[in-house]
Amino acid sequence: MSAPRSSALARRTLLAASGGLLALPALGQARFPNRPVQMVVPWGAGGGTDATARIVAAMLERRLGQPFNVVNRTGGSGVVGHSAIATAAPDGYTIGMITVEITMMHWQGLTQLNPESYTPLALMNSDPPGVQVKHDSPFQDIKALADAIKSRPAGTFKASGTGQGGIWHLALVGWLQAMGLKGDHVRWVPSNGAAPAMQELAAGGVDIVTCSVPEARAMIDAGRAKALAIMAPERNPMFASVPTLNETLGINYSVGAWRGIAAPKGLPAEVAGVLVPALKAVFDDQEFKTFMTQRGFGMIYADPQGFARFMAEGDRAMGEAMRGAGLARG
Amino acid sequence: MDALIQAFGLVFDPSVLVVILLSAVFGMFVGAMPGLTATMATALLVPVTFFMPPIPALGAIVTATAMAIFAGDIPAAMLRMPGTPASAAYADESYEMTKKGQLNLNMGVNLVFSVAGGLVGVVVLIAAAPALAEVAINFSSFEYFWLACLGLTCAVFLTNADAVKGFLSLFLGLLLATVGIDPSAGFPRFTFGEVELMQGINFIATMIGMFAVSELLRGAVTVRDAGHVVVQQVGDMFRGLGAVWRRYWFNFLRGSVIGTVIGALPGAGADIAAWISYAVSKRFSKEPEKFGTGHVEGIVDSTSANNSALGGAWIPALVFGIPGDSITAIVIGVLYMKNMNPGPTVFTENPQLIYSVFLIFILANLIMLPLGWAAIKSARQMLRTPRNLLLPCILLFCIVGSFAMTNSLYGVVLMLVMGLFGWFLEEHGIPVAPLILGLVLGEMLEQTFVQSMIKADGHYLEFFARPIAGVLGVATLLIWGVMLARGIMRSARR
Amino acid sequence: MRLNDALLGAILLGFAGWVWWMTTFFPAFPGQDYGPNLFPRILACGIALCGAMLVLRGLRQRAPLVAVDGWMRDPAKLVSFLLIPGATLFYVLASDRLGFIPTAFAILLALALWFRARPLVALPVAAGVTLAVHWFFSGLMRVPLPRGLMDPLL
Repeated sequence: MSAPRSSALARRTLLAASGGLLALPALGQARFPNRPVQMVVPWGAGGGTDATARIVAAMLERRLGQPFNVVNRTGGSGVVGHSAIATAAPDGYTIGMITVEITMMHWQGLTQLNPESYTPLALMNSDPPGVQVKHDSPFQDIKALADAIKSRPAGTFKASGTGQGGIWHLALVGWLQAMGLKGDHVRWVPSNGAAPAMQELAAGGVDIVTCSVPEARAMIDAGRAKALAIMAPERNPMFASVPTLNETLGINYSVGAWRGIAAPKGLPAEVAGVLVPALKAVFDDQEFKTFMTQRGFGMIYADPQGFARFMAEGDRAMGEAMRGAGLARG
Repeated sequence: MDALIQAFGLVFDPSVLVVILLSAVFGMFVGAMPGLTATMATALLVPVTFFMPPIPALGAIVTATAMAIFAGDIPAAMLRMPGTPASAAYADESYEMTKKGQLNLNMGVNLVFSVAGGLVGVVVLIAAAPALAEVAINFSSFEYFWLACLGLTCAVFLTNADAVKGFLSLFLGLLLATVGIDPSAGFPRFTFGEVELMQGINFIATMIGMFAVSELLRGAVTVRDAGHVVVQQVGDMFRGLGAVWRRYWFNFLRGSVIGTVIGALPGAGADIAAWISYAVSKRFSKEPEKFGTGHVEGIVDSTSANNSALGGAWIPALVFGIPGDSITAIVIGVLYMKNMNPGPTVFTENPQLIYSVFLIFILANLIMLPLGWAAIKSARQMLRTPRNLLLPCILLFCIVGSFAMTNSLYGVVLMLVMGLFGWFLEEHGIPVAPLILGLVLGEMLEQTFVQSMIKADGHYLEFFARPIAGVLGVATLLIWGVMLARGIMRSARR
Repeated sequence: MRLNDALLGAILLGFAGWVWWMTTFFPAFPGQDYGPNLFPRILACGIALCGAMLVLRGLRQRAPLVAVDGWMRDPAKLVSFLLIPGATLFYVLASDRLGFIPTAFAILLALALWFRARPLVALPVAAGVTLAVHWFFSGLMRVPLPRGLMDPLL
């Protein structure tokens, strides 16, 4: 760890000594990175995306010998941060964590940005939604809940988890559609994120919350809520007692809130050549694995081409789902 | 119990203690400098605390504000210039006392009763907050909607300005809160295609603008002519205090209780607590004719009240996420930034955090005694700090602080616009506090309204269907009725 | 500076009308009568009401249309006042190109000198505070303060 840092320091001193005249060509030739890198996070400090970004940044810093500073650019349902990443200079000194919202916001007409606006570097994580109910709900398993939803008239049940047209809203819509119902058979109550939605659930304000299980964990641990199922191909080892939709209802529907690292479009190949292997190494690091598992975060890796394919695929699926639910605009 | 031990560990960590001590000194200085307020101290502290873990961050804010509210008494007594608005209510009285040659006793009374009043506020906070949280855990959007309404009503009800301007300020704040993505359909409102505006009006940058920059604008006009101030040295300030205690212990209790309650009401803080308790003191005094001539009685009431208001203001802030004053409005922002959304769940999920806040409050009030003593003793030097250097430095802190809040120049531009706007409003006698409260509560109001309407399938009566929501709703409507009736009667009399 | 209540009220009425006009471009939410435009419209009404009351009050008072404070006629004081927004604007416009350190130093020094600080005091204070703020925010807190001209040196 000390070796790359001291050599970077030496380089910096050399650079400074060589003066302004030589600085520009020298910068071009010097191995990336030779000054601090900004990692933009479109979501607030303390949340899941922020925590993931911070550990990735800390581990990149150790590998590449330059500070990787996490910069939170929050608000606008993620538009502000995503556009800060896309519009930065493509020199590698501004990268960022992009999230599933990049495949959704442009369908809603919030921004022109889409997955094509970035140089994908690595997909790091994906969390499936869970189905949570109040601890003393009359429906103690997913089968009973699904039957009740189907048998009652539309609008009887209310669900929450995020804002209108957010990823957890689409999770609900997709699940309902997979059961042969309309997307608004369960009314969506927009909330300011998963935590307030869980509070509503505990207070008896809504019947179902479809956020990810890690986000619901605090209320579940406090004995005020219960996870009935997750919408994923397989169970989460951290919450092994929660079944999947497939094994209980025979519905093979899965969707996820993913997070990955990307840079502005037009990143030079030699810079990507430094970042991509470093990110792969971070993903394979035991420390990263331990951190993610403890938090209950799902781990999934894809290299730049795989990440691009993954996003294109997700973008198409989201477009369909949002049009189906009447959430697409423009 | 575990949580309490954990809290002790968290608070009595050396680095936390250093932060508390440093912010105490900072608070003393800001409070003692006329023109720099306790709210400004908090607004300037936030960018610094933003990157700290939650406990030192909250410790810094609690300590700095407690010190600043006390320290505001010092220049009030010496120069007739209240260091913070919270000391304005009794600045004249205090200065008259000094002119009578009672500066020592005056400072002693201000210090000791500030400490004692602060402790009363903390005791009420410790007793009331967890109990209220037990109730609040069952609050859904209906209850929060009515709470937000009540809070906003209080804000107008309690300002000293006239009602039209109070309401105007409130409406403007609520309107500012609608900028950005709307809570019902996810549509960007009033953004004019600007990506930065989609994040809404950043609240901390607005606070820095309205409370710090507008103050700088006023200060800049006079700074070139300001000479050095000369104040006398304070001697033994504890002599004669025993007699004041014995004679006015009831005033102290009454002032502290009034202060705590007013602090707990949304929208009213230490300054209004001091005004009201001073008025109450005069109204019920056996010798009201002595008020205004350097009489200690009113000072006991109001100096206790403004410090106790601080603790009171944290009750609704921690339990409901509704600020009790402009300082806790910032605290709520800090808690959100740390992803510890204030509300009843904090009490169950992070009890150690709540206990730590309590401990810090007690600690801050205890160290106020020696630090306050030192501040009074060094007031001569402190008040000589050249304002022509201080002013540019504060402007730089404002700029960097706002920048750090959004990590972009948007924060700086917003701070500047809000600073000029805040200055403009105050020039026209329009109070800023309701605007800030509207900005803070606007989103909650609209969000809970939309949520409630969806849950109720559009039936308005559902707003009264849950028992607590019903009580809160009826209470809100009653207060509105009374306000309306009073307004009509007043205009009819004219 | 103080506008007459009637003038202030008239401005507010115009503002409220503009807000209402803006809300007509907001989409309605299918199937419910409370969409993104509901709250701004209620608030526009509230502001209009306050504005109307101010107009009535202002017409009764017969105060001058604009009352200007004494200090605004003193050019030096006006400059002092304008320097606060001016310095902030300078930061907004120049900090990206120049970098934080030169911009902050220039602002501190210029303001202190205009406010009649002695140069021998102002210089070291401006330099010290600039470096301290940079060290604290950029170094300790990792705020991305602009590097500008100083980029090769930092």
